Amino acid sequence: MNAFDLTEDQQDCLQELINVAMGQASDQLARYLDTFVYLKVPSIEQVKAEHLFDTLNYESDATAIVSQGFFGYEGIRGEALLMYQPKDSHRLADLLGYEADELTFDEQIIDLSSILTTTFLNVFASQIDNQMSYSAPRLLSANIGKVNEHIQQQAFNWDLALKVRISYQVTDYSFNCDMVLLIPEAAITNIKAVLDRILAEF
Amino acid sequence: MSTNVLICDDSNLARKQVLRSLPESLSTDVKLASNGEEALAILSSENIDILFLDLTMPIIDGLGVLAALKEQNKQLPVFVISADVQPEMQSKVLALGAKAFLRKPIQIDVLYEHLKRHGFL
Repeated sequence: MNAFDLTEDQQDCLQELINVAMGQASDQLARYLDTFVYLKVPSIEQVKAEHLFDTLNYESDATAIVSQGFFGYEGIRGEALLMYQPKDSHRLADLLGYEADELTFDEQIIDLSSILTTTFLNVFASQIDNQMSYSAPRLLSANIGKVNEHIQQQAFNWDLALKVRISYQVTDYSFNCDMVLLIPEAAITNIKAVLDRILAEF
Repeated sequence: MSTNVLICDDSNLARKQVLRSLPESLSTDVKLASNGEEALAILSSENIDILFLDLTMPIIDGLGVLAALKEQNKQLPVFVISADVQPEMQSKVLALGAKAFLRKPIQIDVLYEHLKRHGFL
């Protein structure tokens, strides 16, 4: 076990904070899409920097990836990536269905991702008495090499990624998306301290 | 006579949050379950007076528990405590017989209000 690993209690605590955040993000998604979203238990996994892309197992093209930075108090910060699988990109296009004079698919998927990311992280932050600011969301090139380049260009050296696999099943369509939170070393330590503070209350 | 309480949630922290929020009159005899299957097993072998139930759980989820209780025609007050706050989900659980829907994280005043409304306080 290294300094970044979570204890069983910390993992359970983080899972519950994420569940609550995900529940409200799903509610926003349901309102945005005007449908019902079936929520599954999210899986949370810590991934070392060097292994991230091995675990994502994405094809190198047609994957929509939206990136957005987040910054909170107490040095809690990172980069959130919302990653959509190639087959789901087409489903999303159908699901988001827009008129010719409305937003492009790229703009819509940025909007959708921003809603999911900011709702999720705002609720997460409020539970730990924190508050987040965000950079503008960016749709990255579908090329995985470009994504890697983007990640390497972050202002911080991240050591561990918290991969939260969220499966959204919508009434008429289904799609999966991974939310990957890239978190630098100092922020991991801060998050662990916050989790310990919450656990100490019980 | 004490009230037998069952708290079903896959999160240890969430179970503790509910337990800590309960009024003294409901916290003397509390059983815990970490998924719907465990909850149904406890419900079939013990006399439980009130169930606090999460929805998003592995094996059998909260909706599955409510459906099973309805099928068994079991008259048990169920208070759903969930992060899945979509209005349609709230309607679903109430249609399946839940007494109330409470959003996570649980707020003590809201819990007490519902308990009072249903005669547990």
